[in-house]
Amino acid sequence: MAEVSPRLLVTVIDDDESVRESLPDLLREFGYVVETFASSEEFLASGDLGGTRCLILDVAMPGMSGPELHQELRRRGGAIPVVFITAHNDATVRPRLLALGAVDCLFKPFSEGALLAAIHAAVPAA
Amino acid sequence: MHIVELEHPAAEITQLHRCLHDLLGLLALPASWVGAKPAVIGGTLLDALKGLMALDLAFVRLNHPSSKSPVEMAWAAPGQLLPPRAHTIGTMLELQLGEDPRLWPPVVRAPVGSQELSLVALPIGLQGELGVLIAGSTRPDFPSQTERLLLTVAKNQAVMALQDAHLVAEHRRLAETLELRAAQRTAELAVANEKRRQSEAIFRGIVDTTPECVKLIARDGTILLVNAAGAAMGGAPSAEAVTGANFFDFVAPEDRPRFREFHERVCAGHRGLLEYTIVTLQGERRRMEAHATPMLHHGSTVLLGVSRDVTERRQSEERLRRSEAFLAEAQRVSLTGSFLWRVATDEITWSEQLYRIFELDPALPVTLERIEARVHPEDRPLFGERIGRARSGGGDFDAEYRLLVPDGSVKHLHVLAHAARHGGGGLEYFGTVQDVSERRRTQEALDQVRSELAHVTRVTSLGALAASIAHEVNQPLAGIVTNASTCLRMLAADPPNLDGARETARRTIRDGHRASDVVTRLRGLFGKTSVGTEPVDLNEAAREVVALSAGELQRARVVVRQELAENLPTVLGDRVQLQQVILNLLLNAADAMDGVEDRPRLVTVTTARDDGGVRLMVQDVGMGFGREDAERLFQPFYTTKPEGMGMGLSVSRSIVEWHRGRLRATPNQGPGATFAFTIPSEPAAPEHAGDTKV
Repeated sequence: MAEVSPRLLVTVIDDDESVRESLPDLLREFGYVVETFASSEEFLASGDLGGTRCLILDVAMPGMSGPELHQELRRRGGAIPVVFITAHNDATVRPRLLALGAVDCLFKPFSEGALLAAIHAAVPAA
Repeated sequence: MHIVELEHPAAEITQLHRCLHDLLGLLALPASWVGAKPAVIGGTLLDALKGLMALDLAFVRLNHPSSKSPVEMAWAAPGQLLPPRAHTIGTMLELQLGEDPRLWPPVVRAPVGSQELSLVALPIGLQGELGVLIAGSTRPDFPSQTERLLLTVAKNQAVMALQDAHLVAEHRRLAETLELRAAQRTAELAVANEKRRQSEAIFRGIVDTTPECVKLIARDGTILLVNAAGAAMGGAPSAEAVTGANFFDFVAPEDRPRFREFHERVCAGHRGLLEYTIVTLQGERRRMEAHATPMLHHGSTVLLGVSRDVTERRQSEERLRRSEAFLAEAQRVSLTGSFLWRVATDEITWSEQLYRIFELDPALPVTLERIEARVHPEDRPLFGERIGRARSGGGDFDAEYRLLVPDGSVKHLHVLAHAARHGGGGLEYFGTVQDVSERRRTQEALDQVRSELAHVTRVTSLGALAASIAHEVNQPLAGIVTNASTCLRMLAADPPNLDGARETARRTIRDGHRASDVVTRLRGLFGKTSVGTEPVDLNEAAREVVALSAGELQRARVVVRQELAENLPTVLGDRVQLQQVILNLLLNAADAMDGVEDRPRLVTVTTARDDGGVRLMVQDVGMGFGREDAERLFQPFYTTKPEGMGMGLSVSRSIVEWHRGRLRATPNQGPGATFAFTIPSEPAAPEHAGDTKV
């Protein structure tokens, strides 16, 4: 897509395989460069932290959860914008995550419009 | 000497000599009469007169002051014929002379005896009170002047002698009287002394044998006297061993100032009573109770005390007091009171704690009326009936009542009473009353918490289940939506990315199947196959459920009526699952009546035979439902409750159907709804149910 910078790297971390398969394809349709990881630990071990402009992060995962990874990154001084995604439709979760500094929190299944709006909010320069 | 007739001077001189001589003789008489008695005086007087003149008769009567009968003496010349007794002669002479001596003539010539005599009577004393002297002579010239003179002098001498004798006699009489009095007094004193001696002996005996301590203590504390018992109390071998010791030393140090003050008061003249402790010579402490009175002893006031050893009594009293205090404390702590009720007299004895529980004034006697006034009005009929039964010999009873006390609060009491016949054979009840209000309140609070917890657990577990189901379904749904979006994007590209679209469509189908798998798994979860099969008595199952949920139903103010048919056949199945269904129906019924205030919240659980099976019905009077909703009720996630998940009836139906039964809901004619299920009773194995359905 011409209107989007091809340099922008979006990283998806989710333990659910169908999300890791489907979401990158859709994001690439919009012109993003996408990397996927099945867990927080894999992502932290990858060394790609610096290049990521936006993190799409599942909340509930085995091992380090999404919010825990978020806090870990903030502790390390990183300022990567985070968009949480979750299949737990719990109304109390969203405000709590936003208060902790998340850009947005999307409930699965979410529309492509909601997803794009969240990414745009995360990376205004895009 | 007055005028003397002179006839012959020589004779006259001789006569005068004689006369003088005679007079001297007479005057000398009193010397011989000193201290003499009247009889001696009279005798001497008569003898003297006889010798002085020629007389034929002489009589003297002398009144003795100390004796009643006078002394009478008479002398007559030989040849005179006179009565032998002087008294008779005196009487005879007085007849001649007249009664009154003052009227007697100087001389009387009168016949006396055989002769006529000239009689001269001289009264002795002015009125003749001392007696009379009578002289008589046959001579007509009697008495001559000389004779009269001599008679008069003799008489006067006799008067003086008599007066002397009177004085002497009087003195003697007085002396005798005094002596007599003294002797009498001496005898009286002797008697009194003897009496006193006896009385002292008696007192001594009493003092020596009394078991009480009798003691005499000087003002400075010195023991002046003590009996054997007193010495023994002090631990001394004998009274002598402690006499002279200081009593204050025996008084326990802590009581000494008090005792000394008391002692001082008694010695100042006041009686008193004091209790104090002594320490015996062996060092033993004894409690004494002393009555004391002041007593004069050798001029100073000392204390006479009688004291008894009250150690045992005080110890018993203390033990009793402690035991009573112990009981009272136990009653206070356990909130338990005790009572004794004599039925015949309605005499009721209450423990202190019981007055506190009933909040009655302990100053007033307890009566059944006062008790009944405190019983909660709703419990009074029950109370009255119970009392009536007890009165007619109903025996032991165990009951619970409520009290309504003046501040309006309610107390719960547990009464236990034992019937007995006392000595006289009368019926009496002895029992305890325990205030169990706190326990009741705790129990109710606990039930409330338990019920709330059960409710929360039910809601949260269903909520968690629902959330879990949603999560499982949302995951593949997210994949489906994303893939479909990608597919559309790829198809809309110029040129269309057909390979990509095909791939994403394929993934969409795959995720769809995945979602379907989740639903299959869920169904397996609810219709789990590891179910036990056993004969189940639905009546028993229903009773258990009603009992288990009683707390929660009571909290929701729901009344359960059980109308369970007898002799029902058993059904084959999983008892716990069927009970879950019954519980679910009961709780739904209770929930449906939440907010019902205009009628009792009644749930009726009915069992009955039904066409080869057993039917169980749960009927409520709640809000009910419309006829068109009858089937939707059983759909999953259909609910009318704010906190409900809409799973209960759905799950219940699947359980019933697994048991080859049917669960139906019908609106009542009146308010509320009826849920009923029927389970076939024939002993066919539920596993075969699937096979028969073709």
